[in-house]
Amino acid sequence: MYKKFLSLTKNLTVSLEKGLNLFTTQENNPLYFHGALPLYTFWFLIFSGIMLWMYYIPTLDRAWTSVNYITSLPVLLKDANGQLLLKNGIPVVAAISPATGIPYGAVVRGIHRWGAAAMMITTILHMLRVYFTDRHRSWRWLPWVSGVLLLIFVLFVGITGYLLVWDARAYSLVVSTQRWLEAVPLIGQGLSAFFIGGDAIRDFTLTRFFFFHIGGATFIFWLIWMHFIRLHEPVVTPSRAVNFLTLGFILVAAGVYPAVNVTNDLIAQYPVLAGDKGFIPSDAPAQIGYLVDVIRYDAWYLFPYYLMEKVGVNWAWIILGSATILLFVAPFYPKDRRDNIAEVVEAKCTGCTFCSLDCPFEAITMQERAPGSKFKLIAVVFAPRCSECGICVGACPFQAIELPNTHSKTIEADVLALLKTGAQ
Amino acid sequence: MSEIQSAIPVEKKKRVIVGFVCERSIPIHDMMGPHKALADDPETKIIILPCSGMVKPTQMELALANGADATFVCGCAMNDCHYRTGNIMIRERLEGERNPKLRKSTDKRKVGMFFFTMKDKRPFLDALAQFKASTEDL
Repeated sequence: MYKKFLSLTKNLTVSLEKGLNLFTTQENNPLYFHGALPLYTFWFLIFSGIMLWMYYIPTLDRAWTSVNYITSLPVLLKDANGQLLLKNGIPVVAAISPATGIPYGAVVRGIHRWGAAAMMITTILHMLRVYFTDRHRSWRWLPWVSGVLLLIFVLFVGITGYLLVWDARAYSLVVSTQRWLEAVPLIGQGLSAFFIGGDAIRDFTLTRFFFFHIGGATFIFWLIWMHFIRLHEPVVTPSRAVNFLTLGFILVAAGVYPAVNVTNDLIAQYPVLAGDKGFIPSDAPAQIGYLVDVIRYDAWYLFPYYLMEKVGVNWAWIILGSATILLFVAPFYPKDRRDNIAEVVEAKCTGCTFCSLDCPFEAITMQERAPGSKFKLIAVVFAPRCSECGICVGACPFQAIELPNTHSKTIEADVLALLKTGAQ
Repeated sequence: MSEIQSAIPVEKKKRVIVGFVCERSIPIHDMMGPHKALADDPETKIIILPCSGMVKPTQMELALANGADATFVCGCAMNDCHYRTGNIMIRERLEGERNPKLRKSTDKRKVGMFFFTMKDKRPFLDALAQFKASTEDL
């Protein structure tokens, strides 16, 4: 039943890709670079993130302004003593001239924002593609499990990115996260305090979120290494055409749809912005204790919060937790029959390393032979990693490695028998 | 007399083409007829393998040396091998970029390679027909 489901999903996936092949070549079909695309977009995030980092100030009263300064958006006004100017308890904002901002700052922020969306979209696409084509099981369990961890961390880093803007939405997300963590039995309060770095939101809280964001992104690199560790020559870069296509999409999105949003609520709240609609920030500055009624949820990163709002904290835990567990156990069911693992014929192996170099899953290592042997090295197959593909057999010039059920000698005998019978 | 002779249909010489096909590329199991030949093309004999990367160039040479008129390999669509690199490996081997390579003395015009998905039955048959036609006079 489950295998039939996988077969159906594979059919649908291949049909979709075949459709795209009508418009492009096999070598440049973007869907065939589903694994390389998330990493490729990650580089956009790293470089644009470093540029944003130069101007970002992680304190409660300056974070919102520093982000807006980068993009020449309105900033919070302060009095001569450096205190925020308030009008009816609401911080006063003022538009700044684009000339005083950072040149192309809005584009860089846009690249960071849309690059993040692209990374999540391509990550989910990659995961679905791998799952639908049944390339997640058996000897591929480590790439899959590390991939699930990658998905979680991409989500985590993305969410912390939303918090760093420190607008009204960010504050609401922090409160929701605290509620979510507090629902964990026994350690909930501790987790919540750990999240904000104490018993209240202070400047240190934003510094902490900044650490979560940068530290999480760094950890993603380590997870990518884990993801690749058992893959020989992983595809880390899409073809040149797909590279330019992705770059074009992100740049166009960053230019046409800057990472800002015009909201009527905001205009009503801050009349000074009404005349400057093109430069209205994503949301009003955060005010501790003030929760906005309506939060704009991002479909790619903020869906857990949307779920929490719709079904409540406990159900959100149950749904997201169950989904995560299912993702983690997916590669272990159903179990494959493993009866065609490559075997090395010791007497024929010259230690040439061809099989080891060509094995796509790092299942073959070269080990030293006993002193006095004719050859220095011998190939050794690590059975749990062997995919039974036979690529090592194709690589071996000496018939020193074979699949027991698909032996080279049998294939050659078949060829001769077919030629003997001829066309009938 | 010569007019009479030309009116008699000359039976086309039966050829033998040996193909090595990855079981995860084209739907080869559905395309098979009797005697390990393609149902639509009895001249084409098929050896089914788990991956096109398993094909040894020496096996294709063996086929040619023992009377095959041509030989070919068919793997998954390029960049989409189920085992990641099998189609790349065999392509590089047949193009002489990776060991083990085809012998230099092998007539490479008689060696074909195709890379198609499980949905590409018709494109495969078309490409095969084209390949066979190109090898007819060799």
